[in-house]
Amino acid sequence: MNKKLFATFLLFFFIIQANAQLGVMKLVGNGTKDYKMGFGAFIKTGFPVTEGNDATLEIGANIFPIDDRYGTVMCPLKVGYRYTLDGSGKGFYVEPQVGYDIYGVTSLEGKDGQDVNLKYHGVIFAAGTGYLFYISDVSFDVNLRYETVIAHGGSNNMVSLGISKSFGFGRRDTEY
Amino acid sequence: MVVFSSCLKQSIPDAMLRSTKGTTATLSYKINGNAVNISVDDADNQSVYSGYTLSVTKNAGYFLLAGSGITGEITLSLFTDSLRTGNYKYISGYGPMFVTDYNNTNEYVYAPYDSTSVNITSYHNGHIDGNFSGMLTPLIQAGNPYDTFGTPSSVSITDGSFKNVPVFY
Repeated sequence: MNKKLFATFLLFFFIIQANAQLGVMKLVGNGTKDYKMGFGAFIKTGFPVTEGNDATLEIGANIFPIDDRYGTVMCPLKVGYRYTLDGSGKGFYVEPQVGYDIYGVTSLEGKDGQDVNLKYHGVIFAAGTGYLFYISDVSFDVNLRYETVIAHGGSNNMVSLGISKSFGFGRRDTEY
Repeated sequence: MVVFSSCLKQSIPDAMLRSTKGTTATLSYKINGNAVNISVDDADNQSVYSGYTLSVTKNAGYFLLAGSGITGEITLSLFTDSLRTGNYKYISGYGPMFVTDYNNTNEYVYAPYDSTSVNITSYHNGHIDGNFSGMLTPLIQAGNPYDTFGTPSSVSITDGSFKNVPVFY
């Protein structure tokens, strides 16, 4: 029941106003040389806190392939604070985020050739910057982010470059 | 915090694999001053079919602490029906006993002053830690009915130690 309520809560806010984002990303750090360039999809919404600044809520899925069979998938749920540098709600911004990896799995080939699936959850910290702009009243966001997921005494670190476009069923005074 | 977490030296999969790697068992000693080291990852899951690399196995009336490495194998017999911490000594008076085959030469407890001494200092969760030493005689030629041995007590086992060696029943 609690899960249903939570899902309804998320859906409600995402429906009001959200950004759909696509990104390319690269795992960095130890143990990541076998990973190819990853990609991800996100849905993100914001709640005006002050004029030009938003609290944000984001859920997504990141996929980092090693080859056709193996790789890593993570599903981060994050909250953040997006601060536009000139206070206008557009232009350059910075955005720290914290969250939780609600599902993570890394599939590898084991020593004996069998598949090994390592499932984990973890805390997420991220720091990003980007540029908000409008084309024909539709807001776009180009952003660069560094994100780390911590679990089991290790961390998955990634750099992400993304672009997002807003969509929504309602409007608010301050676009983001 | 982001910087801190980036300082973690391993990825999450590496950390998880390391944590599931299991107990690492080790055994080391010097034979006439030459170091021998045996180490087994995930020692609890060694295959009985392909043979244990480092283990203690129960036999009728004794336990066998055995390891095999690139220079050969070592077997230390612990005569007891119930393995406990303490000293297990084997002397030549009990009869000839094979101990190791360092670089293709079999070494025995054979001559009057030969012996092996094994101290089990810890026995916990099915694993033993301890140390050992010995004085041995090389077998020069196996024959029938008599074997030919080399210089008595000319092979010394020193600085022997073992850790996390699993006991299989």
